[in-house]
Amino acid sequence: MFRKVLIANRGEIAVRIIRTLREMGIASVAVYSDADRLSRHVRMADEAEHIGPSPSAESYLVIEKVMDAARKHGADAVHPGYGFLSENAEFAAACEDAGLVFIGPSAESIRRMGSKTAARQTAVAAGAPVVPGTSHGVDLEEARAFAAENGYPILLKAVAGGGGKGMRRVDRDADLASSLRDAASEAARAFRNPDIYVERLIENGRHIEIQVLGDRHGNMVFLGERECSLQRRHQKVMEECPSPLVAQYPEMRLAMGEAAMRAARAAGYYNAGTVEFLVDRDRRFYFLEMNTRLQVEHPITELATGLDLVRLQVEVADGARLPFTQEQIALRGWAMECRVYAEDPYNHFLPYPGKLTRLTRPLGPGVRIDGCVYDGWVVPMEYDPLLAKLVVWAEHRENATARMIRALREYDVGGIHTNIGFFRQILEDGEFRRGNLHTGFIDDFLERTEAPKAPEDLSAVAALIAALHTVKRNANGAAKTAPETSAWKETGRNEMLR
Amino acid sequence: MKLNLHGPNGEQAIEIAGHAPVYRFRWSGAAERTANVEMPEPNVYSVLLDGRVYDARVEETAAGTLVIVIDGYRFEIGVRDPRRWSRKDAARSADGVQTVAAPMPGKVVRVLAAAGDRVEAGQGLLVVEAMKMQNEMKASRAGRILSVAVKEGATVVAGEVLATIE
Repeated sequence: MFRKVLIANRGEIAVRIIRTLREMGIASVAVYSDADRLSRHVRMADEAEHIGPSPSAESYLVIEKVMDAARKHGADAVHPGYGFLSENAEFAAACEDAGLVFIGPSAESIRRMGSKTAARQTAVAAGAPVVPGTSHGVDLEEARAFAAENGYPILLKAVAGGGGKGMRRVDRDADLASSLRDAASEAARAFRNPDIYVERLIENGRHIEIQVLGDRHGNMVFLGERECSLQRRHQKVMEECPSPLVAQYPEMRLAMGEAAMRAARAAGYYNAGTVEFLVDRDRRFYFLEMNTRLQVEHPITELATGLDLVRLQVEVADGARLPFTQEQIALRGWAMECRVYAEDPYNHFLPYPGKLTRLTRPLGPGVRIDGCVYDGWVVPMEYDPLLAKLVVWAEHRENATARMIRALREYDVGGIHTNIGFFRQILEDGEFRRGNLHTGFIDDFLERTEAPKAPEDLSAVAALIAALHTVKRNANGAAKTAPETSAWKETGRNEMLR
Repeated sequence: MKLNLHGPNGEQAIEIAGHAPVYRFRWSGAAERTANVEMPEPNVYSVLLDGRVYDARVEETAAGTLVIVIDGYRFEIGVRDPRRWSRKDAARSADGVQTVAAPMPGKVVRVLAAAGDRVEAGQGLLVVEAMKMQNEMKASRAGRILSVAVKEGATVVAGEVLATIE
């Protein structure tokens, strides 16, 4: 087994991986940019190495810097997490060339599945249905031709994409040029690849994905599905395992699971991976893409299956055989995840970086948090604003929903805006309760509901506290009111005196 | 003691009497009520009102207002003491001049318009990026660009004026 593993990532997923490594008795090496010296993953790791300036293009995305850190610290394997270099075949190959085990699939599998257009070809060859789209990256003229043939709306997607970056819905020709330009620029920044391809948009489809896991001896299983239909900006914000739709039509599970494994096998896949499907209103499913890495929402599968996916990833990377067969895998109960972001849901979900002034996390039965924040941490503006994933498990969907609402009520983050309150609103919603989910759900929801109105007594208490707090503050004098500001001023003064 | 509060429902007065931890108060013309108020943690108040429990958390904003969070609800409230001389509200922007402000802290990655340009409503003026998310700032009406206050690459804070249109 490995002695030391470098984590080529940051934030909550780096923390998540360190936790399992520690349980396995494996030392962890963190890497960090200028912005992340005080991030939780660095504070938690056994060893750490600085790899450059804050922009990820100059740190977390630079293969040579990560490789240098791995060599310097004597790591024998690398876990890429999700995002950054996790789906970069060149990186997987560089690890293998340097004698480091890449905890993930082979570089060849990534090549065949990492690019969305190559993945579509692999899926088609394996007999999985795909959404009509172009087979390669397009320029404006080709995009226009596709739209003319298939009609609007269309979806622009980054060839190297993931996480909704570089993705744009286009409804009319007038928006095509600017959307294509923005998508390409976003894709270039996020993936160092500006190529964009086009797909027909399936309106109000559901996004359901299958978790697969394979070893290096040709064994593969699927670990149930996840419903990921609740999205904003084409990015998942809330997931469930099992899917309410599949729970209703259980025959879908096996059909999708087998299609997923066929596609994965066609790419010679091993380690953990996720095959994403779009499901239309007639419950027909289409292969969307394969994520050749651990998924953000993997904890709900862990809670419903009782497995530690990171441990299994490490074990199969080390050459172990899968410790179970398909028949031994069962989903139990209901798991749900809310992605807590530093953003303002009532202002177009705009990111809201800043300093956390207060943090109270929910505890109690059935609650898990995969996070990286602490009281006093400054949420950097350079990266995805994911603060934590709040995950609950209960016997069935109704109890899981109630438990999630309870947990969200205990969750208090001060100093910045978060989407915690917004999740509560969704969980109370009748359509959500009935399991009528689709990828346009959140946009519809915002249209048909108003921001929640506070009960009258809460307004009275807020008024009383605002007044009392002001009186108290004025009595204490100005010095105590803004210690933060004065500390900064003091530093500024000292700087100038030097 | 009487204070004026400026909240989501406009200006309302609150009168408070009593000593810690028991206060009597009249708010917004309603009948007098009694509340028990303690501060168990810095800037966190535990309130008992008519037998019900409330946990109220206070943040001070850069704009000088207070944000009170109770059970997930946010109240942004400005407090004014009517006995003190107070400045009038921030002057309204001059007639016909519209400002485009950064909705979030971030970095200006593209400037699409220059001073003097004529723009249509909905036309993109700048692109601001934060956390890998690009947001196009659009003109809310047609007009002429009076000024563009930032250059590509500039770091901006939330609320910072990026451009003005007349």
